[in-house]
Amino acid sequence: MGSEQFRRQLRQEADLWRAEGLIEETQYQQLVERYQLHSLDVAARNRFIVILLGLGSVLIGLGVIIFVAANWQELPRFWKVTLLLSLFTGVNIVGFYESQHAQSGRQRLGQGLLLLGALILGANMALMGQTFHQGGAFYELLLAWGLGVLVMAYGLSSTSLGILSFVIVVFGYWGGWWDLAWGSWSALTAREWSWALLVVQHMPILAGFMFVPLAYGCRSGWIFSLGASASVISLVANLRPFSLNLFSSEAHGWVMAIALALPPALLWGYDDSFWLYGNLPWLSHLYRSHPRLPPPRSFQPLARSLALIFLGIAFYLPSSGWFWELLTPNSTSQIAIRGFPWIDVVVLSGITLVAWVRLLRSNPRTNRSELLATRVVGAMIAIAAITIFWHVRIQAIPMMATAIFNLLLFLLAIGLMREGLGQGRRRAFWGGMVLAILRIFSWFFLFSTDLLFKSLIFILGGAGIILIGLWFERHVQTLTPTSKLHQQTQSSPPQEDAS
Amino acid sequence: MTDDSLSPSPSIPTFPTVKPAPRPARLPPWRFWVPLVGQIGLILAVPAQPMWTLVTGKTVVLQTVPVDPYDPMRGYSQTMSYTISRPENLKKLPGWKDVVASPTRDQSSLLPVGKSVYVVLQAPSLPTAEPPQAWQPIRVSHNLPNSLPANQVAIKGKATDRLIEYGLETYYMPEDRRDEINQDISQAQSGQQPQSVVAEVKVSAQGHAVPVSFWVSDRHYHF
Repeated sequence: MGSEQFRRQLRQEADLWRAEGLIEETQYQQLVERYQLHSLDVAARNRFIVILLGLGSVLIGLGVIIFVAANWQELPRFWKVTLLLSLFTGVNIVGFYESQHAQSGRQRLGQGLLLLGALILGANMALMGQTFHQGGAFYELLLAWGLGVLVMAYGLSSTSLGILSFVIVVFGYWGGWWDLAWGSWSALTAREWSWALLVVQHMPILAGFMFVPLAYGCRSGWIFSLGASASVISLVANLRPFSLNLFSSEAHGWVMAIALALPPALLWGYDDSFWLYGNLPWLSHLYRSHPRLPPPRSFQPLARSLALIFLGIAFYLPSSGWFWELLTPNSTSQIAIRGFPWIDVVVLSGITLVAWVRLLRSNPRTNRSELLATRVVGAMIAIAAITIFWHVRIQAIPMMATAIFNLLLFLLAIGLMREGLGQGRRRAFWGGMVLAILRIFSWFFLFSTDLLFKSLIFILGGAGIILIGLWFERHVQTLTPTSKLHQQTQSSPPQEDAS
Repeated sequence: MTDDSLSPSPSIPTFPTVKPAPRPARLPPWRFWVPLVGQIGLILAVPAQPMWTLVTGKTVVLQTVPVDPYDPMRGYSQTMSYTISRPENLKKLPGWKDVVASPTRDQSSLLPVGKSVYVVLQAPSLPTAEPPQAWQPIRVSHNLPNSLPANQVAIKGKATDRLIEYGLETYYMPEDRRDEINQDISQAQSGQQPQSVVAEVKVSAQGHAVPVSFWVSDRHYHF
């Protein structure tokens, strides 16, 4: 129907057109009908009432909260519990039914209330604990709270609740991770496992299960990216590649190799055709039944972008010599490895393996460039993993390893730029560009102390970026219309036949 | 649009059929109610165990020890520490060696962090005295001891890096009385003639404990 501002302008214009005789009365009426111009004043009045009501209820709410806070400790437990629960359910119920309202303003109000309800859930849990003098670990509360919010996010297919839940769970995860690090992961076998510590330990798998299906339910690329990143980042964090004893730089060769290779391989191999097109009744219920959302789309390109970002970082850091000097080859590598996340590594490696076998066996004629990209990425990951394993476990090769990683970095950068050029994808082109420039700049900053030389490099670099960037943008402009035209001629029948 | 008299002149293109604004489809209510019930269950799960302990548990009195008065965590709550919180007070008890002799790499620490331990407490000879007398630890065990006599109870603790925690370490109190009570406690514990500060707690059959109230000399605080 158009924005309200547009409708207001349209009403002014339509009045003018009618007065000037441009349109007839019937057409004017049709415009009024189509754009609901007569309801504009009512909408404004309603909004004013809503604002008044909102302001009033906020003030009343504040008054009630302060009253309760003043008498909180004197209240009997029963009343405390009743008050907390009724506030929580009240806000959520009003929020849900408002969010289902036809007016977009009230929908937004409802969504706001649902977010508030999710925050009240956490406050309620904390206050309940306080009422019974429970001083448990804070991260436990965060994890339970985040999971609670997640359930509601699934129910309502709500992106905002999903992201809130993600933030809470991530804080809970790091809290628990620090708790484990503090209590030394090496004592894990003696430790009594609480459910929260189990969640922390298996976050790499759980993050995938918690957020990836939600991303399809909400059609939210954001939630997918966050969930997938949380999965691989927690995998690296739980592997603790630099050491199984925190804060010492003793490295285990194969732990490092896994931490380097598994995340990008998993992300690159990610394939959701099974989720999207497989005939799974409960899944289709979750994904397809939402009445307001478009049909779900594939997040495979997003997963591959994440894989490339991970590779960019994983190639950039070891492309400097200091990284390899820091990695002291571990002679006493027979230290018993406790706390190695076996289950997560095995499960995720299994998924990765299956995905890669499927990728490499796919029909080479239909997607040739994709197959080539997969082979190149696979080879790069394998070379990187073997290099780091060799350096740490078999023989220290700092010079060679640095050279290999620089080579990989530039290969990746060039590949990205080539992809970006070929398909007019800005982000890929600029991503490759940034990677290459970052590397070149860090070379000159580490090895050169001559100010004049540095200034020259800056000037040349700046000029180069401007030139290449301008050229690329022109290239994209010449590329896009033709490809669009190409698509149009393929997809739509000629218009002349219809008329 | 069906009325012929309303049809516009052919030179001006007509609008497509006027449709009322589509009413957005709604979510089925169960997609809200099921998660809501789950969340309420989550909220109620927090006090479930302490509530159970309060209803079914046995009242036990524990001797407190002074804690750092500058504890930054002290807000609306009093941090409590007990004689049985300190490993050095439990070392001499029977059963301690079995508890420590579990597989750990680090021999220097007393108990591995996160390990659980059960402390058996015995009632004092005068159970009805006021202020009540503290129960004494008599034994330490790796597992929950079964078939204890009526005047004994096992309480479950968990080792941290320096102390053993029983879930009794925080006691929440009204903000307006916090300073008064904190002062009372610190005077009682550090004065010329230290007075006893004891806590009344409930301990369930599984060894879970909840704080109920505490006594500073003969003054009883209950929130």
